[in-house]
Amino acid sequence: MSEPGAAPPLTKETLRVLAQAQGFTLSDADLDGLLPLVQAVRAMMSELAAVPLEDVEPTSRYHML
Amino acid sequence: MTDLVWASMGELARLVATKAVSPTEVVQAHLDRIAALDGTIKSFITVMGDSARAAAQAAEAAVMARESLGPLHGVPVGLKDLYCTKGVKTTGGSRLLGSWVPTDDATVVTRLAAAGGIMLGKLNMHEFAYGPEGLNVHYGTPWNPWDRTTHRICGGSSSGSGAAVAAGLCPGALGSDTGGSIRIPASLCGLTGLKPTYGRVSRAGALPLAWSLDHVGPMCRSAADCALMLGAMAGYDPRDPSTSVLPVPDYAAALTGQVKGLRMGLLGRFFLESAGAPQRQAIEQAVKTLEGLGVSVGEITLEQMAYAAAASAAVISAESYAYHEPWLRTRAAEYGPDVRERLLVGAFVSGTEYLKGQRVRRLIRDEVDRALGELDVLIAPTLPIAAVPVGAREVDIDGKPHPVRPSLVRYTRPFNVSGHPVASVPCGFTADGLPIGMQVIGRSFDEATVLRVADAYQRVTDWHTRRPPLGA
Repeated sequence: MSEPGAAPPLTKETLRVLAQAQGFTLSDADLDGLLPLVQAVRAMMSELAAVPLEDVEPTSRYHML
Repeated sequence: MTDLVWASMGELARLVATKAVSPTEVVQAHLDRIAALDGTIKSFITVMGDSARAAAQAAEAAVMARESLGPLHGVPVGLKDLYCTKGVKTTGGSRLLGSWVPTDDATVVTRLAAAGGIMLGKLNMHEFAYGPEGLNVHYGTPWNPWDRTTHRICGGSSSGSGAAVAAGLCPGALGSDTGGSIRIPASLCGLTGLKPTYGRVSRAGALPLAWSLDHVGPMCRSAADCALMLGAMAGYDPRDPSTSVLPVPDYAAALTGQVKGLRMGLLGRFFLESAGAPQRQAIEQAVKTLEGLGVSVGEITLEQMAYAAAASAAVISAESYAYHEPWLRTRAAEYGPDVRERLLVGAFVSGTEYLKGQRVRRLIRDEVDRALGELDVLIAPTLPIAAVPVGAREVDIDGKPHPVRPSLVRYTRPFNVSGHPVASVPCGFTADGLPIGMQVIGRSFDEATVLRVADAYQRVTDWHTRRPPLGA
């Protein structure tokens, strides 16, 4: 297995395939609207890669106080 | 004679309790104003005229019979149309639920009614609360009452709540806040809005956007009225396992006007420094006012705020998609295009990314907790901008174009991520006459101090008493 690298740029065709894998058949117009939103969220997710989280557990939804 | 549609909730309750006015007069005055103005403002999706009149008659009978009266007895309240109302359609601002009639009330609706509140109707909103502009393609986008000539956004998602309270169509309303949806319209409509601590107010019976970020709270014309509504709603609810068992203090009694000796932190980096000039100047003036009341203010930076937007995006995308996935698969065409697209984004956020967002939330929450270990409250602008025209995608901030949507949530969503209580308080106007808001952020479950600061500020300023240019 090769070493993981940076994720390739997300294209309209890649997004179409990813959507199909989840059972969504999206039109070209749908994909044109969705692509910049998914790209923006992926860019934001990449910011979190720099955050040191070794000992940090997820925030719990239910914290009775 | 008091102008009933501009009286505070507290004043209306006093007038009713002393028999100076009848609840039927109060309710009819608001229904008349809705009939006169809401064709343009579009703040209500459903007006509950018949049931409100019937409730007012029952409230009047209770007064005449000298029954024990709740703190909101005879006072009209508006409900964002994501709170379930038994026998009354609850649309979530969507065509998808356009004819859905719940069989039970949301817990907060039950509690407001138990306090004597009279439900006036269901308020417009961004579809399924997923948008900070407050747009709505199905029911019409509410018109910001502060500009009669240009159709400007009210802010969202609780846009109908903001418009209705600002226009005198109801004295207080329920909003909900997942990334700023109480505070954004409060700021853009010149209102006081409170996002309580996560767990302080039950979410049971509220249509969710993102379970771990959703907060239920009041939007009113003063901090005192927010205290009144919060006191009626807060507290443990077995229907919502995230609610706290901590006792509910007397929020109204906490409004002493005394803030001398409190320590405040002014959030500069990530907040004030990137706001527009009118917002910066208004906050700086508000700080001087607070200092004049005996508060000490120093600037602080919260470094983890750099990751708040990303953490929020990971969580809201995944949770909102999880809730809507069945409808996205079967009834996608019934959503408005902008909300359908935003909801679908969550299909491309992985479980690992969601949990990374939840882990970063802990860092952010801990940092805010540490700051509030040494300070009583934090201060920040609510927004870097004022209300923009409907349809604007970019806004100028100090000569540079910025996208509208992220600008609207930049200063508010960090405290959905952290869960701390925040009030947005009017603190000025732009040269064009558009309202500006200030956030007061407090320790978890210390809404009393947040409201005390907001109320003390409002005792010496008049921003919150100004009315939009609507005529009567």
